[in-house]
Amino acid sequence: MNENLFASFAAPSMMGLPIVVLIVMFPSVLFPTPSRLINNRLISIQQWLIQLTSKQMLAIHNQKGQTWALMLMSLILFISSTNLLGLLPHSFTPTTQLSMNLGMAIPLWAGTVITGFRYKTKASLAHFLPQGTPLPLIPMLVVIETISLLIQPMALAVRLTANITAGHLLIHLIGGATLALINISATTAFITFIILILLTILEFAVALIQAYVFTLLVSLYLHDNT
Amino acid sequence: MTNPEMDAQVHFTDIKKHFNSYTLTSRMNWVLATYEGIALMILYFKLRSTKAPTVKAT
Repeated sequence: MNENLFASFAAPSMMGLPIVVLIVMFPSVLFPTPSRLINNRLISIQQWLIQLTSKQMLAIHNQKGQTWALMLMSLILFISSTNLLGLLPHSFTPTTQLSMNLGMAIPLWAGTVITGFRYKTKASLAHFLPQGTPLPLIPMLVVIETISLLIQPMALAVRLTANITAGHLLIHLIGGATLALINISATTAFITFIILILLTILEFAVALIQAYVFTLLVSLYLHDNT
Repeated sequence: MTNPEMDAQVHFTDIKKHFNSYTLTSRMNWVLATYEGIALMILYFKLRSTKAPTVKAT
């Protein structure tokens, strides 16, 4: 039972070859390139969704920040599609791997910080000390603000990993409990099944929300530095 | 949060002109001073530990 619980998080391989790269690349197949002025229904719906999200997300940015539009939209599309595909039974979810999420979070966060230090050095350094801080608190607050800046990529990655992993584990556990209870008590099994249905609906929402939160936070870090 | 107009409104004299928690430049100066202070402390303790005489076994 213990081995089965975490088996779905192991890196998948087929005939000894790792196929995790194929799994990571797969969601891009679901977003075909628009090739006409008026496209088919799938592409039109995707374009509408992308426009809606990008308008809302890029509204706070100035011209410099809006150069990150492609990056931010690719990020939210990738994470949301990966999370949603991971809810299919027996599928592997790349965003449950901390290594992958760190690989997304650290370069993006570092990019925003380096952009800020390069173009607005004074403002970026002054950001470590909130305005109006009393004199005795200044050194401590500078240290605290530095630590909170350095923790940002870790928090980004761990938040996504923990949320998706926890959801998958819960579904696995409650699904197992439902199966085990069928022979013991049909009523309890039915109630557990209802809980499983509700949890799955919640996980659909969490998959989209976590993608949005990740992208929004990167967008906010960019806004602070541009 | 940071208001450049604040720079013009607040008038400080002496050292407070360069080290207060209101203007952008002084906040930057405080941050750099804090980092330099931490670096000096680390350097001091490192040098002190290398200079301390080792106890020889008899």
